[in-house]
Amino acid sequence: MYRLLASIRKELILLARDWAGLSLLFVMPVFLIIVMTLIQDITFRKIDEARLTVIFMDLDQDTLGTSIRRGLQENGFFDLAAPPESGSREENVVRQLVADGEYQIGLVIRQGASERIRERGYAFVRRTMLGEEGVSDSTSLQQAEIILYFDPVIKKSFRESIRTALEVFTTRLESRILYSALSEEMERLMPGMTMPDPAGSGAISIEEIYATNPENEIVPNSVQHNVPAWTIFAMFFIVIPLTGNLVKERESGTGIRLKMMPGNYLHVMGSKVTVYLLVCVLQMVLMFMVGIFLMPFLGMPALNLGAHLPAILLMGLTIGMAATGYGVLIGTVATTHEQAATFGSVSVIILAALGGLWVPVFMMPKLMQSVSDISPLHWGLEGFYRIFLHGEGLSGIWTYALLLSLFFVASMTIGYVYNQIRNTR
Amino acid sequence: MKSHTAIGIQDLVKYYKGSDTPALNGVSLEVPEGEIFGLLGPNGAGKTTTISILCGILSPNRGSVNILGFDQSRNMQEIRHVIGVVPQDIALYSTLTARENLKFIGNMYGIRGKKLNDRIDECLDLMGLEKSADRQVKTYSGGMKRRINLIAGILHRPKVLFLDEPTVGIDVQSRAVIIDYLKQINQEGATIVYTSHMMQEAEKLCSSIAIIDYGKIIAQGRPAELIGSKAGYTDLENIFLHLTGRHLRDN
Repeated sequence: MYRLLASIRKELILLARDWAGLSLLFVMPVFLIIVMTLIQDITFRKIDEARLTVIFMDLDQDTLGTSIRRGLQENGFFDLAAPPESGSREENVVRQLVADGEYQIGLVIRQGASERIRERGYAFVRRTMLGEEGVSDSTSLQQAEIILYFDPVIKKSFRESIRTALEVFTTRLESRILYSALSEEMERLMPGMTMPDPAGSGAISIEEIYATNPENEIVPNSVQHNVPAWTIFAMFFIVIPLTGNLVKERESGTGIRLKMMPGNYLHVMGSKVTVYLLVCVLQMVLMFMVGIFLMPFLGMPALNLGAHLPAILLMGLTIGMAATGYGVLIGTVATTHEQAATFGSVSVIILAALGGLWVPVFMMPKLMQSVSDISPLHWGLEGFYRIFLHGEGLSGIWTYALLLSLFFVASMTIGYVYNQIRNTR
Repeated sequence: MKSHTAIGIQDLVKYYKGSDTPALNGVSLEVPEGEIFGLLGPNGAGKTTTISILCGILSPNRGSVNILGFDQSRNMQEIRHVIGVVPQDIALYSTLTARENLKFIGNMYGIRGKKLNDRIDECLDLMGLEKSADRQVKTYSGGMKRRINLIAGILHRPKVLFLDEPTVGIDVQSRAVIIDYLKQINQEGATIVYTSHMMQEAEKLCSSIAIIDYGKIIAQGRPAELIGSKAGYTDLENIFLHLTGRHLRDN
C-alpha cells in the first residue's frame, strides 16, 4: 500500500508539472463543451427562435403572394427581406442575391399566380358539379408558379422546411378558392342557402409530450444533450497524456528502473489509473459546473443535474475507468509517443462518432447502429442520457456502468498480458 | 541459504526476437562476494544483455542465475531488495527534482521518514549535489545526471550493485567522484559488477575481469593475470584488442 501511495504521489507531481497535459485535460474540454453546446443549440431551440431570412419577391401582388407573405411571417420560421428598392423587379435579382451568398433562400411568386389558382378552382367546380362541356380540365390549365432559389450550402432540412411551409399555404389557399367557388355555385343553384365557414374548425390537435420517467421534470435542450455528451468525449481524451506518460516512461529508462525495483504491475499501473481516474472525475465536475453556472451567462439554459447524483457519480467513475483502461492499453501496445498520440486521438474520435456524439445512433444506417453498440462512448452517452434526459437513476444505468467496468477490466488485462509477453522477448 | 558467491550464472543463452544469432551463447560466471567485477567487451558483445538478465529486466532463453543464494527464477522479489542497478541511461523522472526522485525510489524500497531523508542528504552530500537537490533533473548537467543516477542505484544500500557504463560521457571530476565512491561502498562490503569501454579505468578499479565477445566469455581473471597471460602486452587495452580484434563493431 505504501508503494502504491508513493507511486500516486509521484504521478500527481508529474501531472502537476505538465502544463500542456493539464490544459489538454481541463481547459480544452471547457472550450469544447461551450463551443459545441452553442453551435448545436440551434437544433434544440423552439422553431420560432431559429429564424432564417428569405429574400421575397412578390410579382403576383394578389391573394397568393399576400397569403404566403403573411403565412411565412406568422409561422415564425422565417424573416422576410424585400429586394433592394433600386433594383430591378426581375426575378434574376433574387437569384443573384442568393448566388452571392447574401441570402440562403430566395422566393419569387410569379405574376398571375393567384389568378391561375382561381381559374383551376372554378374549372374544377364547374366540371364536377355542373358537368359543363367545353370547360377545360383543371389539370390542363397553366399552374401557378413559385420559384425557390437555394444557396448550395443550405442543408436539406431547411429546404424541406420552407417547401413544406409553402405547400401548406398554397394548399390552404387552393382549398379556400375551391370552397369559395363551391359556395358561389351552391348559392346560384339554391338561392338563400349558405355554406358554413370551415376555417378554424380544428378537427385535429397535436400535443407534444416527452416519453420519459413521469416524475422527470428535466426539459431536453442543447445543454442537457451536449454537456454530458462532450464531457464523455473530453474524459476519453485522457488517453493522450496517459499514453504519453507510459511511452515516455518506457523510452526514458524510468520504466526499466521501475522493473528493477521492488513492486509490481499493480503499483505502477494502479497509481496511474488512480490519478487519471481522479482527473476524469474532476473533469466531469468541472464540465458540469460550466453547464450549471457558465452556460446561463451565455444565454443558454443551466444544466439540470436532476435528482440522481449517485447515478451521475457511478457513470462518471465507470466512464473514467473505461477511458483510463483504454489509455493504459494503447500506451502499453504503442512503441512511440507519435504512434500513441495519433492512434489514441483518432480512435477516440471514431469511437465518439460511432457512439452517437455527432449523429444520433437512431439516424445511422442499420449496420452502423449495430457497430455503435461496441463503442464505450456509446455506453457512456446512453447512461448519461438516461439520467439527464429521461430522469432515471441507478436502476436505469447499471447495465451501461457494468459494460464500462468490463471494458476497463478487459483493457487492463490485455495490457498486462501484452506487457508480460513483451518482457519475455 | 546464502553462499560466499555473490553471483552465479550458468549457461545463459539469450536470443532477441527476430534474430537467429544469440546475444548470449552459454555464458557462465561466478563472482565472489566483495569483488569489483568488470565485464568488458566491444559494442554488441553481450554486456548490457548480461546485466539486464541479472537485474531481471530480460528473461534468458536458457540458463540460470543465482544472486546471494536466491534463485532468480523463483525469488526475483527478494533479489530486487538486495541488488542496486545503475543503468546506462539516466533512468530518472526529468521533471521531478533530485530529492523527489530519490524519495520515490526510497519509498519503493520500503525506506521512509527520517531514515530516508537522512540517507538522501548523505548521498547528495557525497556526490556534491546537496545544493541542487531541489532542482528538476532536466536542468542538470551530464555529470550531475550521472551522479544522481548513481545515487538512485545505491540509496537502499544494495549488497550487489550493477553498473552499466556509469562514467560514459562525463567530465573528469564527476568520474573521479563516482570511482572513489564505488571503491568506498565496495570496502563497506558491496559486490560490484561493472561494464565499461574504458580499459584504464577498469584496470585500476576492478579486482576481477571477464571479457565477453559474440555472447561468449573469452577471457577471465585478475587484471594482472590477464595482462601477463600474453608476452609483450603491458596493459589491459592491448590484451583486449588482441582478444577481440581491431575491426570496428556496431551494436
